[in-house]
Amino acid sequence: MKIRKLLRILHRDFGYFIVGMTIVYALSGIYLNHRHDFNPDYKIFITDFRVELPALEELSAEDVEEALVSVNEDVIYKKHYINNEGQIKVFIKNGEAVINPNTGEGVMQYLQRRPFIYSLNKLHRASIGTLWKWVSDIMAVILIFVAVSGIFLLKGKRGFNRWGWWFMAAGIVVPLIFALLYI
Amino acid sequence: MKKLALLSIVVVLLFGCGQTNKNQQKSEEKSSEIVVLTIDELYEKAPDLADKEVVVKGTVMHVCKQGGARCFLMGSNEDMNIRVEAGEKIGAFSQEMMGSELEISGVLKVVRTEADAHNPGQEHGEEEQAHEEDEETEEAHKIIAEAQEAAEVVYFIEGIKVKEL
Repeated sequence: MKIRKLLRILHRDFGYFIVGMTIVYALSGIYLNHRHDFNPDYKIFITDFRVELPALEELSAEDVEEALVSVNEDVIYKKHYINNEGQIKVFIKNGEAVINPNTGEGVMQYLQRRPFIYSLNKLHRASIGTLWKWVSDIMAVILIFVAVSGIFLLKGKRGFNRWGWWFMAAGIVVPLIFALLYI
Repeated sequence: MKKLALLSIVVVLLFGCGQTNKNQQKSEEKSSEIVVLTIDELYEKAPDLADKEVVVKGTVMHVCKQGGARCFLMGSNEDMNIRVEAGEKIGAFSQEMMGSELEISGVLKVVRTEADAHNPGQEHGEEEQAHEEDEETEEAHKIIAEAQEAAEVVYFIEGIKVKEL
């Protein structure tokens, strides 16, 4: 079998194989690029509220729980403590609240996982254990193979020598310029 | 190709399941031997436990927002807390863990903030001794030694395993 034909077959089949992984990295990559603009993993809902609470010395877990449930009935209380600023810090399921014990004014943050993207980000960061690290390494090698083998697939007018290398050079020059200017 | 695809899925599943079982067995054996410390107890014994494996439990008071690479476990109050690095074995902590009681197995690490910041790899020892020590070098070494003595000691845990209580 000619080398070009073998490359074409491998490029085609590995290309099909790597579609899912490429989407995982590309899609989550967009979210992770913007991690300073918004939280890539969670939607955050912030609610200002005001509640009636007994004095700190008499404050019980039930009081805090009741107060937060009056703000949002879906709140599931975990625990609370008085922080160094003298505020009541409350941990709730998927969030937290801080209440000023003097005024009863508070802010509640409720986190909601971004469906689908949360999992993609986990995969992208390779933060789900050692096995996935190696699996994603193999996928990355396959992706490199698909990219490089693609260079040699076409002959003729639209082949690499007469046409493709311009595009490849452009694709290298763009990150290179940024690297030279900003690194 | 179909067979290859199926085979690779089966291998990944088998390998994954095998790993979990082995880890579970190991952790069950170990958990019967190791004492679980609170954060307050850990700090009391910290100088003796440096670089040793410890098991601590505490409330998660903060999880790093950039991917959950680390969290802070709180003891009896906000100031009594310790940083836990998720590392490769734990992977990441999730924001949902805030306020949860966690039991963490890991290695207690100690850093002297000032000294380690300027000399992270402790790369000062043997090579330097080969040099001739003049007065200036000797003075510099003295200053470094004094700084190390005076520096604030910071403990953190390199996490190995996490269990939500």
